[in-house]
Amino acid sequence: MAQIEARAGTIAGDARFVGAADTAPRQSFVEKNRNLLLGLLSVVLFLAAWEAIFLVVPFNKLFISKPSLIFEGWLDLISTGELFHDLAVSSVPFFYGFVAAIVVGVAIGIIMGWRQRVGYALDPLMTMFYASPLVALAPLVVVFFGVGVSGKAIIIFLLSVFPFIFNAAAGVRAVDRLLINVVRSMGGTEKDLYLKVIVPSVLPYIVAGTRIAIGRALIGVLVAEFFAASEGIGYAIARFGDLFALDKMFACIITIMIIAVVLTEGVRWAERAAFPWRVGQ
Amino acid sequence: MQAYIQGRNVNLTFRPPNRGPVRALQGFDIDVREGEFLSIVGPSGCGKSTFLNVLLGLIKPDSGDLTLGGKPIAGPGTDRAMVFQEFGLLPWRTVQSNVELGLELKGMPAGDRRTISQRLIEMVGLRGFESHYPHELSGGMKQRVGLARALATDPDVLLMDEPFAALDAQTRDLMQVELLRIWQEAKKTVLFVTHQIEEAIYLSDRVMVMTKRPGQAKKLFPIDLPRPRDYEMRVTPEFNELKFAIWQSLKDEITA
Repeated sequence: MAQIEARAGTIAGDARFVGAADTAPRQSFVEKNRNLLLGLLSVVLFLAAWEAIFLVVPFNKLFISKPSLIFEGWLDLISTGELFHDLAVSSVPFFYGFVAAIVVGVAIGIIMGWRQRVGYALDPLMTMFYASPLVALAPLVVVFFGVGVSGKAIIIFLLSVFPFIFNAAAGVRAVDRLLINVVRSMGGTEKDLYLKVIVPSVLPYIVAGTRIAIGRALIGVLVAEFFAASEGIGYAIARFGDLFALDKMFACIITIMIIAVVLTEGVRWAERAAFPWRVGQ
Repeated sequence: MQAYIQGRNVNLTFRPPNRGPVRALQGFDIDVREGEFLSIVGPSGCGKSTFLNVLLGLIKPDSGDLTLGGKPIAGPGTDRAMVFQEFGLLPWRTVQSNVELGLELKGMPAGDRRTISQRLIEMVGLRGFESHYPHELSGGMKQRVGLARALATDPDVLLMDEPFAALDAQTRDLMQVELLRIWQEAKKTVLFVTHQIEEAIYLSDRVMVMTKRPGQAKKLFPIDLPRPRDYEMRVTPEFNELKFAIWQSLKDEITA
């Protein structure tokens, strides 16, 4: 009897890993990657439609651009090294602001989750900040901290810290009391509770928070540089716009979009690799 | 003569914040012999699970004496292990790693842990599932892991808190048979809390009926059915007489 149950479990378990590909081994490339191809198709169609619409609508490159010109502008920005220079400049405050957001956000979040009263006390204030368009504070930050790395880093920090606070707090609150009792009943110490239960419970929440925070941090980079910069990718977008060099402006915008997708998908991939136990949840 | 597990006049009152106190155990007495399989049945909320948690060392009683092997219970210890109703498996750990949890907390080197976990995974019939995660297992398989984990530290006393309540009826029957086999192999003292009279009779040497809250020991029923027990035993007149007697004793507590 035990073996019957066990074997049934194997079949169910394997199906989860191997998927339908195993039951129908002779599949074409198209069938195997259908979902990915469908996704790509919509992108290609969108670009094609954008390009094609100017066959009927008159085109004025001072007001709009199209994919072929954007691609040329992009190559131009790459060959002169401008694009990489701007990205390198922007990445410095992004790095500082984001790392500070992780450290401060996770610390505050864990305290808010662990200490109920601190949680009740701070929650309305934090929610207010999280829900409000904090970019409105950007001019003020520029007045205080200037247009250098520190001003930009602070705006990026302000925008990306809240997802870490809320997710870390939610993670701590979601820790299963039963698992705490399990470890305590086996003679686990306070340190064991942290290492074996609390940290593994909270970590996936923080990583999920990272995905949200990346998008907000990128907004922070752009807004900070619109207001307060003399170089950087956001400044480049604003400047090319002012110069009516819309092909290059779009090239910068699309570069930022690609970076956003790569970063968030990278985190998603890392999530699957690091937390295989969450796949089925 | 002191019993192996002996409780005398154990009292416990919960005082939850913003609510009135709840008396869980009042003048609770119990004697358990070494190597015995004792089941506790009682109405919902009578404090039977609470008593297991007291015995486990997670909850301190307000008063009374509770000893194991002559020594008072002062906190959690590796001489006792619990099998939880909701399994309590760490979802980020594989089957093997879950089974080894208690050994890891004791600081045992990985090689020795592996030897023990392999033997127990084999014993509960989960060979081949060592690197599966709990979410990939059925309920019955999860509780096998829970049982293997409890046995890993080689405790003298196994505490089982409605361990099969979350399983479907067939899996439950199967697990009862498996548990008896493992109990006979591992030679542990077992305290088994359940709602099911039939399950209690089938497994136990003695069945204790508890009163409704605050919980007290009401009556003890010796189960003199021969071992090893088989499924057919459940339809014998002796079995049904016991079932009826225990049910009568329990009925007053549920309806009154």
